[in-house]
Order: sequence, then structure tokens, then C-alpha cells
Amino acid sequence: MTHLTMDQLVALRDGGSEPGTAAARQHLESCAQCAAELDRLHQRIARLRALPNLRPSRDLWPQIDAERRRVRRGRQARWMGIGGLALAASLAGVAAIGPGVDRADPALAEHPVEGELAAVRERSQALETMLDAYNPDARVIDGQTARVAQALEDRIADVDQELQVTELQREAPDQDQVLLDLWRERVGLLDALVDVHVTRASNVGL
Amino acid sequence: MDPSFVANADAVLARARTGDAAALEALFRAFEGPVYNLARRICRTTEDAEDVVQETFFEVCRSIRNYRGDGSIWGWIRSITASKALMRLRRNKYRDTDELDDQVTPMRREDTALRMDLEAALERLGETSRAVVWLHDVEGYTHEEIAGMMGKTVSFSKSQLARAHARLRRWLGEEVPA
Repeated sequence: MTHLTMDQLVALRDGGSEPGTAAARQHLESCAQCAAELDRLHQRIARLRALPNLRPSRDLWPQIDAERRRVRRGRQARWMGIGGLALAASLAGVAAIGPGVDRADPALAEHPVEGELAAVRERSQALETMLDAYNPDARVIDGQTARVAQALEDRIADVDQELQVTELQREAPDQDQVLLDLWRERVGLLDALVDVHVTRASNVGL
Repeated sequence: MDPSFVANADAVLARARTGDAAALEALFRAFEGPVYNLARRICRTTEDAEDVVQETFFEVCRSIRNYRGDGSIWGWIRSITASKALMRLRRNKYRDTDELDDQVTPMRREDTALRMDLEAALERLGETSRAVVWLHDVEGYTHEEIAGMMGKTVSFSKSQLARAHARLRRWLGEEVPA
């Protein structure tokens, strides 16, 4: 008697409808050996499913989170570059932009908010540069510091999202003041982040 | 799955979509076990499995905004994991060690009727066969889905599964004398 092959048994177990399955099923009814083989196949699969779950031997989240933050920081930096260009373009006809924004400039005197914007954005870029140079992702920090830095970075990300939306609505009245407030908040948060990373590192001699 | 995640799944997912770090970590904590298990069952080494976990969750963090919730979150994460693990197999081009054994010592197992435990037998299967067995018999993927993920045909998936079971049966000492 020709018994069923493993291909046929697996197909039967799957409830397959390939040619020959009906004949295989018929054979199964009259062959105790093949019926036992199919039963063993079912049991083997049940045992496979009951194998214990394997677990990683170490916590993988810190690396994933660090990479996620690195990528996000890159995106933010790129966006800030684009945002900066847009802002520069908007200010081009109004004021000289750069170190030492001239607050006595008559053009800026007519648009004090835009002068403030240029200054605060410049400060933001300087802080970003300082953080990039320090490269916090490559540093070892304690858990408390990491939590504080994380909270600050998360808030910065939120502010960046608000900035993006506000930049798009600049034509609306009073948006410049909103924009200025957001940039100020961003600078405050970046200041705190620099303080957490760079100043702390200097204090403990890292 | 973490019961606290199940109870707050919608809220956690909504926050994760906004890039909230705590929510993304909660998502990781809820699924790191099953993701690692699947990756480890497919990959040969723990290092490869850990890399797959990391790649999977980078992808989850990056694409969670695009997850529309039309399937289960585990189904979505699991398909990313399987895809990353299979990609790693292709990249590493592991040698199918059970095939090697058959070529070198074709009669050894028939003669000695080795009795392994299931874990060891599964580990001994070639990469492709093991991946097919796990994806089909444990994770419940169809041959069509497996073929799609592997870039192979449906018959390839079916024949790999049958071949793997024939080997498992032999290595587990389940063969019955005719």
C-alpha cells in the first residue's frame, strides 16, 4: 500500500483543495498508519505553538530611543534651516539680519517684532550648534538627567510643530507675536537642555 | 501582551502617533517580547534577533502615524518584524545547515534514529525551512502571504513546510516502521 507523503499530509492539515486531496482523504479513512501520521503532525504543531517565548537578554529600548531622537533632531535641524530661510526671506526687505541686530535701525523700529524674531532665532541656532558640538546622543548620562533631557526634547518637538503651523499662518493678524512667543519658548527650552547636558558635563569634568 | 497596554491601547496609540516618547516606549514594552520571539525563531543568532527588534521598532516609531487601525496593532507590528527578519536572512545568506548535514552524512540519522527535543530540532532546521514552519504553523500566515514576504512561489513555501516536517519527524524519532 502506498502511504501518504508529507506534502499530502500537510495539505490535508491545511484543508487544501489541490488535486488529489479528496483521494488522500479517502485513503486516510482506511489507513491507520497515515491517520496516526496526521495526528502526529497535529501534535507537533501544537507543541511548536507551546514552545516558551524567548526574551531578549537586555533592554533594547535605550538604543532605539537614542536613534529615534537622533533622527528627529536631524529632521528638526533641517526644518529649522528651511524655517530660517523663510524667515530670512520675510525679513529681507525689513532689516539686516545677523549678529548684532541693530535695534536702532529705522526699518526695525517700524517692525519691532520682526527684529526680536531675528534675534531670538539667532540665539536658537547658536544653542543648537552648541548642542550638536556636544553630541549628547554619544554621552552616557544618569537616569534622572536622561528623563529631564527627554522631557525638554519632547517639549521642543511640540513647540516646533506649533512653529511650523504658525509659520504657515503668518498672514493672519497677530501671528508674528505668537511666532515670537514660540521662538522665545524654544530658546528657553534649548537653554535648559544645554544646561542639562553641557553645563552639567563641565561641572563634573566629563 | 501587557494588560495595562490592552486597557489603554487607543489612548497610547493616539499619543504614539504624535511622537510622544512615553507612549512609544509603552508600545515597545507591550510588544518587545513577541517581536523578539518571532525574530529569534527566524534568525540564527540572538544578535541578529536583537537587530531585528531594533529595526522593527525604528520602523514602528517612524510609521506609526500611517497606521490607520484597520487591522490589529500586533498584526501590523508582526508583519514589520517578519519582513525585517526575512530581509536579514537574505542579507546574511545563512547556509542551510540541515541540507549540509544531509549531503555529508546522508544515512547518519536514519541509522541512529536521533532523538532531539523540539527546540533543538527546530534550531537545526535550515533558515528558510524554519522561517516557513514558524510563520505558517505558529504565526498562522498562509502560504500565499509567506511567498509574498519571501519573494518566492506558493509551491516553494508548501514544499519547504513539508520538507521541514519530514525532518522534524525524523529528528524527533517519531517515524513509525512501515
